[in-house]
Amino acid sequence: RSSRTSATQVDVVEGCRLPVLRKNQENEDEWPLAEILSVKEIPGRKLYYVHYIDFNKRLDEWVTPDRLDMKKLQFPKKEAKTPTKNGLPGSRPSSPESEVVRVVGAAAYLSHHGKPTFDNFAFNQSLVSHYYSVGNGTARRPMPNQPGRKRKQPPNCGGTDEDSQDSSDGIPSTPRMTGSLVSDRSHDDIVTRMKNIDCIELGRHRLKPWYFSPYPQELTTLPILYLCEFCLKYLKSLKCLQRHLTKCNLRHPPGNEIYRKGTISFFEIDGRKNKTYSQNLCLLAKCFLDHKTLYYDTDPFLFYVMTEYDAKGFHIVGYFSKEKESTEDYNVACILTLPPYQRRGYGKLLIEFSYELSKVEGKTGTPEKPLSDLGLLSYRSYWSQTILEILMDLKPDNGERPQITINDISEITSVKKEDVISTLQYLNLINYYKGQYILTLSEDIVEGHERAMQKRHLRIDSKCLHFTPKDWSKRGKW
Amino acid sequence: MSKLSFRARALDAAKPLPIYRNKDLPDLNDCVSINRAVPQMPTGMEKEEESEHHLQRAISAQSVFREKKENMVIPVPEAESNITYYDRLYKGELRIPKQLFHIQPLGLDNEQPDYDMDSEDEILLNRLNRKMEIKPIQFETMVDRLEKASTNQMVTITEAKLLLNEDDYLLKAVYDYWVRKRKNCRGPSLIPLIKLEKRDGSTNNDAYVAFRRRTEKMQTRKNRKNDEASYEKMLKLRREFSRTVTILEMIKRREKSKRELLHLTLEVVEKRYQMGDFTGEVLSEVTAPLAEKPVYTVPITVTNGNRHNHKAEIKIKSGGLPYHGYHHVSVKDEDPFDFVRPKKKYTRREPLCRPGRPAKRQHIVNKADIKQYDFHSSGEEDYPLSPSSEPDEENDPDGTFAFRRKAGCHYLAPCLDQTSGLLWDHPELAGLDALRHRQSLTALSVPQRCVGLARRRVGRGGRVLLDRASSDLDGVLKQLDSGVFSSSFPKGLSDHQVPTQNHRTMPGSASSLTDLLSNIQALRWRFFRPRSTQGDDSGEGRTGRPSMDNRLSGGLFVHTKNSGSGGITEEQYQVHQQALAQMQKQQLAQLQLKTAGSTDCIISKTLDSAGAHFAASAVISAPGQVNNENKPDNTSVNGVVQPLVESLPPHSTSTSQGGTGLDRSGRTPSSGGPLLPASHSTTPQSLPNHRGHGSAVSPAHHHHNARPSPSSLKLATMATSSLDRVPKVTPAISSMARDNHEPERLALNGISETTVPMEVT
Repeated sequence: RSSRTSATQVDVVEGCRLPVLRKNQENEDEWPLAEILSVKEIPGRKLYYVHYIDFNKRLDEWVTPDRLDMKKLQFPKKEAKTPTKNGLPGSRPSSPESEVVRVVGAAAYLSHHGKPTFDNFAFNQSLVSHYYSVGNGTARRPMPNQPGRKRKQPPNCGGTDEDSQDSSDGIPSTPRMTGSLVSDRSHDDIVTRMKNIDCIELGRHRLKPWYFSPYPQELTTLPILYLCEFCLKYLKSLKCLQRHLTKCNLRHPPGNEIYRKGTISFFEIDGRKNKTYSQNLCLLAKCFLDHKTLYYDTDPFLFYVMTEYDAKGFHIVGYFSKEKESTEDYNVACILTLPPYQRRGYGKLLIEFSYELSKVEGKTGTPEKPLSDLGLLSYRSYWSQTILEILMDLKPDNGERPQITINDISEITSVKKEDVISTLQYLNLINYYKGQYILTLSEDIVEGHERAMQKRHLRIDSKCLHFTPKDWSKRGKW
Repeated sequence: MSKLSFRARALDAAKPLPIYRNKDLPDLNDCVSINRAVPQMPTGMEKEEESEHHLQRAISAQSVFREKKENMVIPVPEAESNITYYDRLYKGELRIPKQLFHIQPLGLDNEQPDYDMDSEDEILLNRLNRKMEIKPIQFETMVDRLEKASTNQMVTITEAKLLLNEDDYLLKAVYDYWVRKRKNCRGPSLIPLIKLEKRDGSTNNDAYVAFRRRTEKMQTRKNRKNDEASYEKMLKLRREFSRTVTILEMIKRREKSKRELLHLTLEVVEKRYQMGDFTGEVLSEVTAPLAEKPVYTVPITVTNGNRHNHKAEIKIKSGGLPYHGYHHVSVKDEDPFDFVRPKKKYTRREPLCRPGRPAKRQHIVNKADIKQYDFHSSGEEDYPLSPSSEPDEENDPDGTFAFRRKAGCHYLAPCLDQTSGLLWDHPELAGLDALRHRQSLTALSVPQRCVGLARRRVGRGGRVLLDRASSDLDGVLKQLDSGVFSSSFPKGLSDHQVPTQNHRTMPGSASSLTDLLSNIQALRWRFFRPRSTQGDDSGEGRTGRPSMDNRLSGGLFVHTKNSGSGGITEEQYQVHQQALAQMQKQQLAQLQLKTAGSTDCIISKTLDSAGAHFAASAVISAPGQVNNENKPDNTSVNGVVQPLVESLPPHSTSTSQGGTGLDRSGRTPSSGGPLLPASHSTTPQSLPNHRGHGSAVSPAHHHHNARPSPSSLKLATMATSSLDRVPKVTPAISSMARDNHEPERLALNGISETTVPMEVT
């Protein structure tokens, strides 16, 4: 495109929107609309940090000017001073970070008076929804585009009261001290909005971080950040890693192994007793968890690290953290399968393990909110399979139609009641028939479930779990 | 088919749900979707993210196919797993143990350095290795220690030497390298570390600060969402209340301090007024020492200076020479007789004051307060003399003025005489009245005479100082002088003090010597006279009346009140003081001579021995009308009390000499006691030296030189007459006669009247 070349002439600044070239999963070119979040000059050229509208932040990236479709460039517009008809300021709840960007950015940009907005917002929306709305009618129509914007109020069912400290008095306060996830606006400044680590080398893997992580700032400029595969220490160079490995004799996570079956092991690490490892783990995990907060120390958490054994040692596959005491029935705080291991069933294994722990504890549990997209899919999948497994296994009793209460399901699975209901709803199993609620299993549900279960070889064997829950509330400290 | 109740009951989690296969329900289509009754559960995602394209696509794909399709997954940034050098990097193999790993977290800490060498370091290492052998681990340990010892500032080479026990060459090389490297380092440390929070909260929003410490753990009941919020609110509330309490307490303290300050300021002003320190000289002189010493500590002494004097007095006592330093407060310039007057007032007031005593003790902000201090000091003197009469004074709590030890101060054992608080009773008294209450008739033993109104206090070193005051009664006192001594009063302490009750009768009387005497005899006047021979303690008590004015450098000062004196320059004042000092010395000398002869004086050479009699030479400013010359000190203000230097003749020790020299200079001088009095008994030399001392003290002595009159009262009178204002040094020795009071009474009356204006001022 000829217009691409003009990118350098026209001032593409933060807040601008335009289609940007990217490859989709089928390796096809597509031109999703994107917003410029940052601009940087490296010798010889400019780079643009773009957020693809309606894509997850993890796909944000630095792009060269030739990927910008300058013909469709939309400049950010000052927000109308007067409220619009619908009472909302401007047509679009623009991203607060774009403002920040302008302030932070090196170049002089628009005046800072207003938030950027778009003339042709309607166009954007229709374009986007048209472009991306696929599937049947059950898919929800995309909401107005709010790239990166976070709402204070998480729409979760758990009632996590995330912002309880963000009291209405408007006094900015520190984040709440329980839990491990944030959804407050403080998360939305431009620094944390952008990925700061290019690449992480961990054992055999090179990982592309998805999100910001507060590794020491001087390390963020490195092309590759090296981690010790076992202690997760961060090192600035391969040489340093080499040196470190002569001194680090860990070959497994530094905790107690509470589960082992086959090559899969789980290690329990106390966030208070083994701070260094816990912090290193959190830093790594933050690279892939948008809402994870590292604001506070790791003391109130336990970390369950799942490893896969080979001759070199116990390699970390994923982990989940868990509050020692949860006031809201959380049995998982953060949960992550490292990207190289994703989509191979490890996530579900982690989730299953977390519920196994809850079973031992005799509690029901639910993951801390907000869930990520991947988290939602994984949990839904796990819940669906777990519940369907139970329902399908129910045999007619004395010729009577099998029946079960939601509470029963919850008790058997340790899945919190609300999650059971939402899963039943999601699966569309609940019907009202002749004056009562019934559960109906359609054939495609049954078939789908059977297919899925065939693929699910990785399972937790509760016999291999050696876990004694501690009553943390009776301890002075976590 | 179903006319079903649209109002489906709420989904009951406890109610069994029968499970149907679709095939079992041909009429399923008639089923009513529960969506009506059961609210859609939220997904638990953030709304914005929930709408993201790839998620929606994946969800819809799932709902269609009940299974993920490859191209419907949510795309993520790629990861590679093809690190070729992995095996070289992670050497060795691990055989899986049969047992589960069980780790003691504490065992994890091996002493390995956290610093990891980089390739740059390797170059240095290779270079160094040409000359010596150094292993990477050794190098890392060195850098590690340097790093960890350096916080904001890098350790110095000397520190490094202590830190690293290494060969000098190696150390230097590594240190220099480290310094260079660290300066070029982008991060705060060569060991990359997570940014730590600062406690000031400045890092609250720093995205790179992680793992902040949690301040407190909230304990709220499970499943009560609101609990947390309300708990926080209550915490906040409590915090705010406690802050309020703190603030109020601080305000309270502040106001108290302000009140104290006011008291002190008043006192200082009063004292300066009495001394005629209108130039601020004395004040400044005293300020330095003040800073160090607790103002309130010694009840007797309000200012540090007092303390010094106090000690001095003790010394004097030990020396055995009774010496009286007097403050003269006179409305007019007068002779010693003035003293009578104050007494009168004293007596008058007393009745009033008595009942109010406790109240007086508390500090009321008014002149009385200031006077209180005076009383207090004078009280000391009184105490030993009349412990019986005013025992309560001792016990009286001092309130804010209670003695408090101060770090770094050396405290002498308390002298018994300090505590008596006769005069405390009358805080309301002011002016002459105050005078009268502060001072009591005092006689000296060596120049046997009555010095008139005087007040004793103990100065630094234990010397007893007499503050003399001039009053209208001075004339009468003269007579007393001659007469009294012949008549013998009972020696006892009790003798000297007039029971407080009696004072009431006194007011206004005492115009004649006879009256005076009768009053004294009736114990309506307090009259202190030296005993001929006393036990140490008693002697002490009597002898010294600690002078309030101790802050005056070195000497005791007699405050004279000049009713109408004109302004006095600082120079004048100084000159005067010097002169006085000289006079005092001379007098001392004479006293000593006399004392030698007189059996009366007892000299205890040790300070400790309480039986100290001392002679106090009081300089009395000449009667008010008179010459300003004498009273350079005196300030013009209406009947202002002016401080005259009076020399305390310390019997005690040679120290006196030094003291004199010091007087002016600073605090040591302030101790005054030692200075003034040339030790006579102990240090005979001092006598001859007097002149010298004087000169040292005060280069300028004019008329005063003439002054030194051996016989105290006479001197005083003479001085008053001739020099008018010139302070008279009247060394007195223990045994004193108190007799004729009558004439004085009259004088007292007169004084009382005159006092009024003073008070006003």
